[in-house]
Amino acid sequence: MAKYRTYILVWVGLVILTGTTLSVAGMNLGGWTVFIALAVAGTKSGLVLNYFMHLRSERLLIFRVIIPLVMAVFLVFILLTFADLAFRGGVR
Amino acid sequence: MGEAKELVSDEARDDTGARLGMWLFILSELLLFGGMFILYSAYRYKNAVDFHHASMELEVLLGTFNTLILVTSSLSMAASIAAVRRGQRRLSMVLLMATIALGLFFLANKGFEWGAKIEHGIYPNSPTLLTRAKGEVLFFGLYYVMTGLHGLHVLVGICILGGMLTLMIKDKINRTRFVPLENSGLYWHLVDIIWIFLYPLFYLIT
Repeated sequence: MAKYRTYILVWVGLVILTGTTLSVAGMNLGGWTVFIALAVAGTKSGLVLNYFMHLRSERLLIFRVIIPLVMAVFLVFILLTFADLAFRGGVR
Repeated sequence: MGEAKELVSDEARDDTGARLGMWLFILSELLLFGGMFILYSAYRYKNAVDFHHASMELEVLLGTFNTLILVTSSLSMAASIAAVRRGQRRLSMVLLMATIALGLFFLANKGFEWGAKIEHGIYPNSPTLLTRAKGEVLFFGLYYVMTGLHGLHVLVGICILGGMLTLMIKDKINRTRFVPLENSGLYWHLVDIIWIFLYPLFYLIT
């Protein structure tokens, strides 16, 4: 069973990452800013998914199938949208 | 009382099925918000400068504060479930109430934020907003739709958690029967995750 201590440590991690994303946004890093913001947000959701939502201790095989499957579908949507935007040519 | 509980747990129920169903719902929600995030990125890609200017008008401190509120509410939610599983009923209820209070706090902040923007004449289709650049109109449109839909999810979450609290008072949720609370927790964490992405994308564009 999950320990309170683990939850508190995860919370501390989430607060630190919030501070990180806030301070990075203040720096002038050009194109890296978005990348870092998304990487930090991804790490934070990873913490929430694995510890608060217990995905880490999920033993059922189907979870290892449906979650990557949905992520893959989402990725295809992103790629198709940006492929469309990139190859539209002159039309806005 | 202890024996009665054991008998109750003999009833037909499928905890794994309930959890799996909840996860399917959560994944469908991720795709719902995912579609909006794609729309956001497409418009931002086309109107980078306008998005930057419009984003500067949002209160970064308020957004950061609301992030901390939701993250903390996720902690109290997870701890509430851990407490009920250990049979610490009172502690679990206090933590659940804390989660609800934090959710209401979040919505109150959001309300102030929206109120201030609307007072400045910035709301969808407002005359002031329509005089601005196209990208800024898009940014605020997305801002209202995405934070609005998220806020609606917080509101629904608060109602569900209120229902769970009632079930707990009636002892329908306890050490041997906690899956409804667990699933409500999953929903609450989902709402947190969505905000984790909304926060940098709306408040922290440089």
